[in-house]
Amino acid sequence: MTTPLLEAAATVDGARRRRPLTRVVALGGLLALAVFAVIGPLMLPDPAAQDLSRYLEAPTLAEPLGRDDYGRSVLARLAHAARLSLVLAAGCVATALVLGTTAGVVSAWLGGWVDALLRAVSEAFVAIPALLVVLLVSALGSGGIWALYLGLALAQWVEYFRVVRARTGLVLGSPAVEAARLLRLGPVHVVRRHLWPDLRQLLTTLASLGMVTSILAMSTLGFVKVGLQPPRAELGLMITDSFPFYDIAPWLALAPVTVLFLLTVCFLGLRTSEDPS
Amino acid sequence: MSLRIRALGGVLARRGAQSVGVAVLVSVLCFLVVRRLPGDAAYRIAAGRYGYDLVDEKAADAVRAELGLDRPAWQQLGGWLGDLFRLDLGRSLVTSRPVVEEVGYYLLGTLQLAAVALAFATVLGGAAGVLAARRPGGPVDRLATAWVAGVRAVPPFLLGLVLVIVLSAQLGLLPAVGHDSASGIVLPALTLGIGLSGLVARVTRDAVVEVRQSDYVRFAHTKGLAERWVLLRHVVRNAAVVLVPYLGVQAVILVEGVVVVESLFAWQGLGHALVHAVFWRDVPVLQAAALALALLIVTLNTLVDVAGLWLDPRPRRQEARA
Amino acid sequence: MTETALVTDRGTDHALSVPRATVRHGTVTLVDVADLRIAPGRPLTIVGESGSGKSVLAHALMGTLPPELVAEGSMAIGPARFDLADRSGRRHLWGRELALLPQEPGLSLDPTMRVRAQVAEGARGWRPRDRAALRLADERLDHVGLAGSGAAYPHTLSGGMAQRVAYAAATIGGARILVVDEPSKGLDPASLDRLADLLAGHVADGGLLLTITHDLRLARRLGGEVLVMRDASVVEGGPADRVLTAPRHAYTERLVAAEPSRWRHAWTSPPTADRTAEPLVSARGISKSYGDHVLFRDLSLDIRAGERWAFTGPSGAGKTTLGNAVVGLASLDAGSVARHPATRGGRVQKLYQDPTSSFPRRVPLEGPLRDVLRRHGAGEDRLRSLLAHVGLPPEILRRRPGQVSGGELQRIAVVRAMLARPVLVFADEATSRLDLATQETTMDLLMTEVTGTGCALLLVTHDPALAAAVTEHRIELGQA
Repeated sequence: MTTPLLEAAATVDGARRRRPLTRVVALGGLLALAVFAVIGPLMLPDPAAQDLSRYLEAPTLAEPLGRDDYGRSVLARLAHAARLSLVLAAGCVATALVLGTTAGVVSAWLGGWVDALLRAVSEAFVAIPALLVVLLVSALGSGGIWALYLGLALAQWVEYFRVVRARTGLVLGSPAVEAARLLRLGPVHVVRRHLWPDLRQLLTTLASLGMVTSILAMSTLGFVKVGLQPPRAELGLMITDSFPFYDIAPWLALAPVTVLFLLTVCFLGLRTSEDPS
Repeated sequence: MSLRIRALGGVLARRGAQSVGVAVLVSVLCFLVVRRLPGDAAYRIAAGRYGYDLVDEKAADAVRAELGLDRPAWQQLGGWLGDLFRLDLGRSLVTSRPVVEEVGYYLLGTLQLAAVALAFATVLGGAAGVLAARRPGGPVDRLATAWVAGVRAVPPFLLGLVLVIVLSAQLGLLPAVGHDSASGIVLPALTLGIGLSGLVARVTRDAVVEVRQSDYVRFAHTKGLAERWVLLRHVVRNAAVVLVPYLGVQAVILVEGVVVVESLFAWQGLGHALVHAVFWRDVPVLQAAALALALLIVTLNTLVDVAGLWLDPRPRRQEARA
Repeated sequence: MTETALVTDRGTDHALSVPRATVRHGTVTLVDVADLRIAPGRPLTIVGESGSGKSVLAHALMGTLPPELVAEGSMAIGPARFDLADRSGRRHLWGRELALLPQEPGLSLDPTMRVRAQVAEGARGWRPRDRAALRLADERLDHVGLAGSGAAYPHTLSGGMAQRVAYAAATIGGARILVVDEPSKGLDPASLDRLADLLAGHVADGGLLLTITHDLRLARRLGGEVLVMRDASVVEGGPADRVLTAPRHAYTERLVAAEPSRWRHAWTSPPTADRTAEPLVSARGISKSYGDHVLFRDLSLDIRAGERWAFTGPSGAGKTTLGNAVVGLASLDAGSVARHPATRGGRVQKLYQDPTSSFPRRVPLEGPLRDVLRRHGAGEDRLRSLLAHVGLPPEILRRRPGQVSGGELQRIAVVRAMLARPVLVFADEATSRLDLATQETTMDLLMTEVTGTGCALLLVTHDPALAAAVTEHRIELGQA
């Protein structure tokens, strides 16, 4: 698009739009959250242990985040909620990524009726929002984790499929791959040197966005009361339950909101400069 | 001109096929829901209809027969899809009213909400994007980038809660819940609109920056065309060519937001109806509401495609490749 | 309102002069020239390779430099003086007094607007829905030979047509001074001739013309004065016929000698191929068309070992498609192509117009080249000796394609092709994006390899001079 006159200026300016610093900070934040989510549940008391005499207790040194309206430890509940969010989101993203990427590469590589079929299926999925798929699937089971997992994975694979299929088509149609074919270098070379290096960054970005989507969708479903059911510790449920007490016990709402926000912001920060959209 | 008509036909055919695919997919999912309904669900539905005191095994059986749970699965699915294509969506298991009537009423509510929210999002996001594009990398641009990420990181229900606390509970400016007064729409629409504004802002910014740096805009300047005419004749139209397809992407996000925001504010719309239907296992309403939402997305995308054809005379990429 | 009327209005004594002009980007000086003068009736052409600063100079005079570049100096148009550092001071001249015919005319036209409207909006006193301006636009389109194309959208035009539309749009406001930036990029000779006629017409009507080009033929054709730029400054200047035939500066000499028509290499005399040998590729009655557009019909040819073939023609004529069909990369509507068993197993190789796109873009060059070594049983020493032969250090392979210059990368592509010990090399516009001197080096290396191994060459080019310098068999496509 730019003429050669402007090329020098453009490369100087556009070289680092997303500084590595952002990614380092995001990665650090995520590690901290992950440690909290893994070690927290092992060391902290039972998140379901009620003690109604300690109703809405304010934060103290021993109980840094206070207690909720059933007298449960907010810190312990938070650690369990963070673990649940991370594990479930990672599971959904991994499933959707493997499914969508495989389908996308197969579709672009083989073409023909395989491509037509996969594209038709994806077209139908694209018009159905993730939340709707999850709602429908969660209507199958009543508030189970498996319904949530299946729904979120089913809703997300299509994004990987579309992006990967489009990019793979471009890469396979490029002169570089044509040259590789003329040199009889074989499919291993094409995947290893052309396809994978090209898709890697794209998938990192898609996966971090997918984590955000999954975490947000989970908390949203908890909020509309069709996702995971109480008394399970889940970020969305914790936010909803604490809402009535926002003026007498603000820490109750602030804690899960902060963790949710940190999780999403860190995953957003992980994106590479290459945005699939 | 005939080329454009042919392109229009192509768009309508493609979107038509997509609607059919969507309808089948939603319907099959709903069918699976029915198949998996546990026994007590029939009880629960019956209870919702007749009241808990009057439910007995007979009433539950009646519900089960109504859903056709006593036939082989493939027959059921065939009959189920057949009903769908006859547009016979049945009656609500809870209220016994025809589903089409109920969904029609809710659709109106959702359309009102979506329209006002889109207006908010366009004004808010468009303005932010255009301002950010004036100096890429400048302070306004950075602020807009932070805004975009912030909006992406917050789920709509949380945004809605914060707005309720600030505008309604603390400042007492707006009613939080309700469908009656005109001001009742402001909070839900604002919640939805703010959520969407992030994407609008980013895409507007990128489109305007790209178009302003394009060779044809620079050439328009050196032709001697005044700045405002360059803006009106070249920048706006070409930025719209980039922007409009994103409205299609937004349709999905819009509908997702609708479901949440309607539940939060008890707004009488499709999303509200859908969540209730899931809760009560009211499958006919569930199917109809999900269908209506999915077809709403397809309709919005069709409008976007047609607008794209009108704005940009170049052949579509897909056609060019074929 | 005709052009001659405009000229007599203002007299012909108004020349453009630039006592001094410098452009810097940070600490790097991109342009530093003094005492330029363009007189009516005597066009000025600035030639030089990419990076010499010639385009930057043109934009400094227009006042269209990107904000990161800092210009200093002044210019005078007749009695009026302008400070080059002041960007907005010349805006009121644009289109009226000072016009620019931009590079890449295809990208310079708004893709969403019919060309008549785009030409009309440059007219003096233009207002939306200005019927007089639209009529004038039709006249101007008629003048450049595009009568009846007013309702077309830019994507339906060829490169040459888009350029003439851009010419009409740039000059409709009656600007006397026309700055033309690299007009020959991607144009076939016929289109370039038509453009040169238009530019000559502008000069004959008393206009001032400044042309920036790397194409010496265009410079010769335009006549007038020529300046040779290198590394931000002018190395030689004078009348075009003198500078371009009897250059005094060593750099100009090299530039002129790099034109294909003047090449003298060991391989320039055609080899004696054995016409009785079995052909490597034998095409019989092949045809191909896209829709109604026939690229070639009922074409037959035999390529034998050691032969050099060229497919020439303007862009869009189908020469690349023909080349691809011959080597088996494109399908045909009719006819057959038989290939000798000797061509199997990767013994047919291709060089691409854009070398960057012919290597995997995200990994260092080393890995993919090792895959070639492994597949074709060549040793590390063979790679090293080939690299040494094309004058590149082995360390260059640690870089990624985007980090190597186009000329160097094309040489690496030659190395890669040669590793497969090909019997036929298909060079698809392989040097058309390179500067003249780089083109000569690259072509010399390729031809030395090709002649050394007795391999056949298939050259696709829009440049008849290059085809004449390198090949002895030619097929010309798409004569309009």
